[in-house]
Amino acid sequence: MQEFSQQVVGGIATGGIFASLALALVLIYNAMGLVNFAQGEMAMLATFVAYSLISRGISYWIAFPLTLVLAFVGGLAIQRIVIRPVERAPILTLVIITLGLATLLNGLAGFIFGYVPRSFPSPFSAQSLGLAGVFVSYRDLGVIAISSVVLLAVYVLLQRTTLGLTLRAAAHHPEASRLLGVHVSWMLALGWGLASAVGAVSGIIVAPTLLLEPNMMQSIIIYAFAAAVLGGIESPLGAVIGGLLVGVTINLAGAYLPFVGGDLQLAVGLAIIVAVLLIKPNGLFGRAAVRRV
Amino acid sequence: MAALLELEGVRAGYGPTSVLHGVSLSVPEAGVVSLLGANGAGKTTTLRAITGGVRWSGDIRFDGRSLHRMSTEAIVRHGVAHVPEGRGICTELTVDENLKLGAHRRHDKDGVKKDYARVFELFPVLKERRRLSASTLSGGEQQMLAIARGLLMKPRLMLLDEPSLGLAPLVVRSIFEVIKTINKDDGVAVLLVEQNARIALELSTTAYVLEVGRVALEGPSAQLQGADSVRRSYLGY
Repeated sequence: MQEFSQQVVGGIATGGIFASLALALVLIYNAMGLVNFAQGEMAMLATFVAYSLISRGISYWIAFPLTLVLAFVGGLAIQRIVIRPVERAPILTLVIITLGLATLLNGLAGFIFGYVPRSFPSPFSAQSLGLAGVFVSYRDLGVIAISSVVLLAVYVLLQRTTLGLTLRAAAHHPEASRLLGVHVSWMLALGWGLASAVGAVSGIIVAPTLLLEPNMMQSIIIYAFAAAVLGGIESPLGAVIGGLLVGVTINLAGAYLPFVGGDLQLAVGLAIIVAVLLIKPNGLFGRAAVRRV
Repeated sequence: MAALLELEGVRAGYGPTSVLHGVSLSVPEAGVVSLLGANGAGKTTTLRAITGGVRWSGDIRFDGRSLHRMSTEAIVRHGVAHVPEGRGICTELTVDENLKLGAHRRHDKDGVKKDYARVFELFPVLKERRRLSASTLSGGEQQMLAIARGLLMKPRLMLLDEPSLGLAPLVVRSIFEVIKTINKDDGVAVLLVEQNARIALELSTTAYVLEVGRVALEGPSAQLQGADSVRRSYLGY
């Protein structure tokens, strides 16, 4: 029982990482009906930015928010420069563009920083804290705390502010929003900036465990896809809950299913994607797609 | 009366297909004008041209200012509320959030508060349903919400695209009563696109009839209403 609780807590921490990246995917999906395959690489690049800042002696707690601001600006710039000219292109074109962007960013990071894994600092100690018989590392607690704060902040922004209201309206009803004076095109750019910043959080908090290198996010993005699909790709809340469920599931599968171990955890993530798409394609919180034909 | 909105020889279309072949019309300050015609005559396209939803040539002036090359956001900010075909309700949002969107560009807090009170006085049902998702509203209630949201933009001109579409006659009556009130008491000018010519002509003072992208007929509503030949050939009742 004690080990079980410990695996669950570890899974929640991992889930917070997936949740942040999944939320980034959902934000862009909502804005454009498009899965941004470059989301993981954008997060990876942002993590390198954080690394560069920290290795120049800037404190972690200053480098972190600074990186998020830079990631926001970067995401905004990508939307304006790369995505906007092809905004009205068929969805397949956009998908290929985000795939190309992923390859480009991956190569760019390799070119600038090289492929040697680097250790990334964590502000939390790796020691554990005994809580009612369950040992939780400070690092896991830190990850849970940071992702909670970020997810809560996004929730407040989307649900409680006028900017969030116009972001949501522009995403779902661009034509009607324009007639209400919403700058739809800028809202899409802000959506990309926001997604980029939220995704960057996942990179920064996963880096101490995975070691930082250009391919760091490639498995994480699969889990994030699983989380987003499980929660319902249109639902921000679904992405968060999906992330936690996927985190806990793969942790438990790794611990209790001997054939899964550490090697087949990614397969569990993929199995979740396939199972959800077969059984409940709209996910836990998605609404059934209704289309007028 | 000075014209608030003026269209002169407006041509517009979608890609290679042209829909309007030189439409001229005007809406006086605080007037009600109806724009009638069969399906595909170009009524909706005319409204879309006014708020910049479709490329056009010719001239459109609102309050003496040319709307040429102006973005939809800017046109709307100058006081044009466009309630589009199909109402444009954001069904993912609550009733209250939809209303908030209408007022989101305004900074006159007291004015907004007063307009909220006004809107709830005109449509008490919206007050009751404030917290519900807009998708739970009936068709008539959604039309009321769309008009209410337009009012919260504090417009000088309202463009209404088929407010009667798909609604029961009694509901249509009550919505047109409100449109009348908005015009009389709040001084908002209205350009009304309608299939339901009878009720549109009752409300408006002037009417234009579009036929395949051109103004085929124009005149005081009462006159159009009375002329049998006009009614039979253009208005279909």
